[in-house]
Amino acid sequence: MLEIKKLRKNFGKKEVLKGIDITIKDGEIIGIIGPSGCGKSTFLRSINMLEKPTSGEIILDDNVIDEKDNLNDLRRHIGMVFQQFNLFNNMTVLDNITLAPVKQKLMKKDEAKKEAIKLLKKIDLEDKKDNYPRELSGGQRQRIAIIRALLMKPEIMLFDEPTSALDPEMIGEVTALMREIAKDGMTMLIVSHEMSFIKSFCTRVIFMDEGKIIEEGTSEDIFDHPKDSRVKTFLSKVKNI
Amino acid sequence: MKRIFKLLVIVLSVFLLSGCETETKDKLTMVTEAGFHPYEYYSNGEIVGVDVDIVKRIAEYLDLELEVKDVHFDSIISEVRSGKSDIGAAGISYTEERALQVAFTDNYITSNQVIITKVDSDITNKDTLHGKVAVQLGTIADSYITDELPSIELVRENKFLACIEDLRQGKVDAVVMDELPAINLIDNTMVILDEPLISDSYGMVVALDNTSLLNAANAVIKKMKDSGEIDAILLKHLNTEEDKQNVKEEKTSNIFTKIGDRFYRSVIVDGRYKFIITGFKNTLLIALGSVIVGIILGTILALIGNFHDNTGKLRLLNRLAKLYIDIIRGTPSTLQLMIIYYIIFGSQSVNMLVVGIMAFGINSSAYVAEIIRSGLKSIDKGQLEAGYALSLNYGQVMRYIVFPQAIKNILPTLGNEFITLVKETSIGAYIGIIELTKASDIIASRTYDYFFPLILIALIYLVITFTLSKLVSLMEKRLKNA
Repeated sequence: MLEIKKLRKNFGKKEVLKGIDITIKDGEIIGIIGPSGCGKSTFLRSINMLEKPTSGEIILDDNVIDEKDNLNDLRRHIGMVFQQFNLFNNMTVLDNITLAPVKQKLMKKDEAKKEAIKLLKKIDLEDKKDNYPRELSGGQRQRIAIIRALLMKPEIMLFDEPTSALDPEMIGEVTALMREIAKDGMTMLIVSHEMSFIKSFCTRVIFMDEGKIIEEGTSEDIFDHPKDSRVKTFLSKVKNI
Repeated sequence: MKRIFKLLVIVLSVFLLSGCETETKDKLTMVTEAGFHPYEYYSNGEIVGVDVDIVKRIAEYLDLELEVKDVHFDSIISEVRSGKSDIGAAGISYTEERALQVAFTDNYITSNQVIITKVDSDITNKDTLHGKVAVQLGTIADSYITDELPSIELVRENKFLACIEDLRQGKVDAVVMDELPAINLIDNTMVILDEPLISDSYGMVVALDNTSLLNAANAVIKKMKDSGEIDAILLKHLNTEEDKQNVKEEKTSNIFTKIGDRFYRSVIVDGRYKFIITGFKNTLLIALGSVIVGIILGTILALIGNFHDNTGKLRLLNRLAKLYIDIIRGTPSTLQLMIIYYIIFGSQSVNMLVVGIMAFGINSSAYVAEIIRSGLKSIDKGQLEAGYALSLNYGQVMRYIVFPQAIKNILPTLGNEFITLVKETSIGAYIGIIELTKASDIIASRTYDYFFPLILIALIYLVITFTLSKLVSLMEKRLKNA
């Protein structure tokens, strides 16, 4: 269970997050939507402290995440997938996947390799294990980034616009993999502009604007019966596109 | 890579340790610049000359063992002042400024540059000196006439024996040279004018408070002057057999044998190639050692800066690192070398190579730090974030992800820095390190022929830097494939 209490974040004088409170239960799939600049990415990146919160608490299974104390420990339990994939350019696919589990002594090297190849097989990219990221398509890279995060055996996975940098024909392979992972009961937080995917996939949807949560509810609540005018305006604009 | 590094460190430390000799008898250290024939010059790989012979007597008088150190002329006063050397003897003229810093002994030599003409010449004193005048290249007479008497057409010979030959054959109207050898050289068709063109007296210098050495030196100088020994020593050094041989060959040979001859004299005679070998060895050692020091120090500095940029911590340390880099990059390396030698190491006697490696290493570290820092900065932030998100810490992210990528980007710039460093070591001569440039200087000061030694060491520098840049591009290729 992930609890976020009174989360605030300032960039200089600008307040980007103005107090976020939310509790996420295990197995929930949360979609976070909202106009650009509303703070949804910052919110997501604050959870594993890639952005250091100005104030507030993040509590994972009763442990308050503290930068000095247990941050690296808790980051193990929170996987993250980035818009730009961020595979390590200087490593082969296999090394990308096994680096962290081996260096953090979660697995022995052989074991990590075996597990990595198993995962690669699952996504049909076993033959690419010795390739470098630059030799792969965007969709392939993002799927590898996802299984790289998976091998750490996280409890929660954060997806920061995972399909925004992809060509349209590659979006499907990435969302399909995400659906696959959800089947095993993974807790997920997804920031995305793929409205149809969010609507069909997420168990709960949060609408953010100006650093605050404006409205939350089931997919149907938000997409079909929005209450706040800002949500209505946003959805009408998105649908027009 | 690691193994090569280890090997380098071992080789280096062996070299440096072998330089730390154990002392037996107490030493009298004389400092000079050995490029001023006949007062101090190299012969058979050793520094000899009038000054050396006189100081040798002083050392005998004090029952000390003489050690001679060769540095840049400008450094002699500070060497003596700082106590690194006991006595400076290098044909030093007395000036008020110098006398404020060090104590002068009595004059041991008065050097008169006299005018020699044919007996029937219309040149009768220095005011009527005109026409063509032969001098020995690079002597006081040469520089004085060049600066003060521009209307005179100078014929610069490598040896004064050749000047006399010119006068005998009527090629010049007069010769200006040292009085003492002139007396022995002229024949009955020539005359030395009474009034010298210039007159200069030399003293030796010791530290202001070292009165015991000053008294001893004055006593020895007086004795040697009175007995005529100094004049004898001067003549001995002026009339070496080699000089006579050189002039004979020069006057009889044609252009082709001349080139071979010049090569022979620059490299073979007196074992002069030994200077080139020593110079080569020292240049390489200093360059190699300072590259290692530069990389280690530079990496630490870059990491401090990078850590601060990424986390906002270590603010004070980062400021200090920046200040250090600014100071090093904002001051000439010659100055840094001299500050490290004269101020940091003060009066301690240290191996010159250690000083050189430290100075050039420190100098290089500032540039290396900036190169590495910008290399680290050039790596996309997403690479770091992905590492952090996978629970790696700063050190691991740097080591496994950022550094390997940054190295690839900065290798060409880093290679350039090292090539610059190799060339920079040529200023080591300032504190008396015999590296390649100093080696060529020593040879040319003896042969008055700059062409061969300079071209030779230029070629050696080229070979070193060319090899280095080949090595760098080889590494680049290997990294590109990785």
